[in-house]
Amino acid sequence: MSIKKIIALLLLCIVIACAFNNSYAGDVGGKEVTSLDHKVDTTNLSGVNLWIADLYNNNKLMYAIVVTLVMAALGTTMAFGTDLILKMFGMDVTKISHRE
Amino acid sequence: MDAFEIYLPVAGIEFNVLLLILIGFCVGVLGGFFGVGGGWIVTPALNIFGFHMSYAIGTDLANIFGQSIGATKKHHKMGNIDWKLGFISIIASIVGLEIGSQVIIVLEKMGTAGSIVRWCYLFMMFGLSSFMLYDYFVVHKRELKQLSLDESQTETQNVRSRRSTIAERLHNINLPPMISFPASDIKSVSLWIVLFVFLLTGFLSGFLGVGGGFIRMPALVYLIGVPTVIAVGTDLMSVLFAGAYGCFTYAIKGRVEFIAAFFMLIGASIGAQIGATAVRYIKGYGIRLMFAIMILCAGCSVVLEQIYKMSGIHVYQTTAGLVLMGTAVFMTLLIITRLIIEAKKEKELKNKLSM
Repeated sequence: MSIKKIIALLLLCIVIACAFNNSYAGDVGGKEVTSLDHKVDTTNLSGVNLWIADLYNNNKLMYAIVVTLVMAALGTTMAFGTDLILKMFGMDVTKISHRE
Repeated sequence: MDAFEIYLPVAGIEFNVLLLILIGFCVGVLGGFFGVGGGWIVTPALNIFGFHMSYAIGTDLANIFGQSIGATKKHHKMGNIDWKLGFISIIASIVGLEIGSQVIIVLEKMGTAGSIVRWCYLFMMFGLSSFMLYDYFVVHKRELKQLSLDESQTETQNVRSRRSTIAERLHNINLPPMISFPASDIKSVSLWIVLFVFLLTGFLSGFLGVGGGFIRMPALVYLIGVPTVIAVGTDLMSVLFAGAYGCFTYAIKGRVEFIAAFFMLIGASIGAQIGATAVRYIKGYGIRLMFAIMILCAGCSVVLEQIYKMSGIHVYQTTAGLVLMGTAVFMTLLIITRLIIEAKKEKELKNKLSM
């Protein structure tokens, strides 16, 4: 399976999440249905914390997209780095024969 | 340690960043090694340390999504993923999950959902771990004796002969359409059987309110007859898709603590690579044994949690959390130790052969 197909399927998951999500409907004009619909107090915040809090308060859809993309990017980058380090220690990750 | 305390704006609490990385690392190693999401460790752990339950679930799902990407890629590289089986599992599990959650709604109306779910959860954990321990200490040892009598068997014959009796019986049911899974060395099995198994695991997942990795992995091994490492890889691939969906849907509801998920993922993605690499060095039955012990300890933690709910004595809840975290840390250390020992052995063997 190619990486493009996997990315397409992951995007499909996100579309399904939007379609089935009630609070998303709330964000675009309907009534909020989530019990945890609170606003973050930004008075003492600055820098990244302030940016995240603003995003959270003003646009939940954008917040969700940023969270999902950052998680994917960080997960991939960290995995790539760790893989390189493990290879340096001689821990090979080629195709294996299955032993029960 | 105050220097490591950071403010989490969405959850509105202060949290130790080292603790976040440690929790992430442990769950990453276990996730990469066993092919599970690890929500049953992270969610209570975050909750014990002060997270609101719904933030704990959402943050955990975001972490699961991130850590599964690298681990799934690594398992794919090692040939541990049966994509065809994985996609069937995702589709059938969603249907099963929906049925399970509908049953819960009916039980809730009757007012018996809580107790039934708790008892089923305990039964699942202790039943599954007992069966796997029996399989290891009785069936596996007996088979090893028989195999030692016939050294001439090839590796493929070896894998096939050690397939569970239940799986062999299910493979013999001739109910068309029949389907093959070459990646899992399954020549022919009824599609209905496969769908039924995943419907059942999906149902249990929806009914018990868990991600389902710890149910699906043994089901792949014992009911479908998939070799253990392929079950781990294939299950992890399903976890990746569930994690992507869960991360987005919880984030849009505002239930993901971004900063916490970010730091947890730093530990988790390192751990997941280590866990996935360890699968290469440890035999399938070894993985099953460690999985059984882990489920058994998690079951004990649930019992303590139950005692707390019934008695209201706080010490039981603290002990439940400690048992769970202790098991996670112990298993992580065990996996890393085994990885180092086995990798060292292999290196020495290679050096000997090259001389």
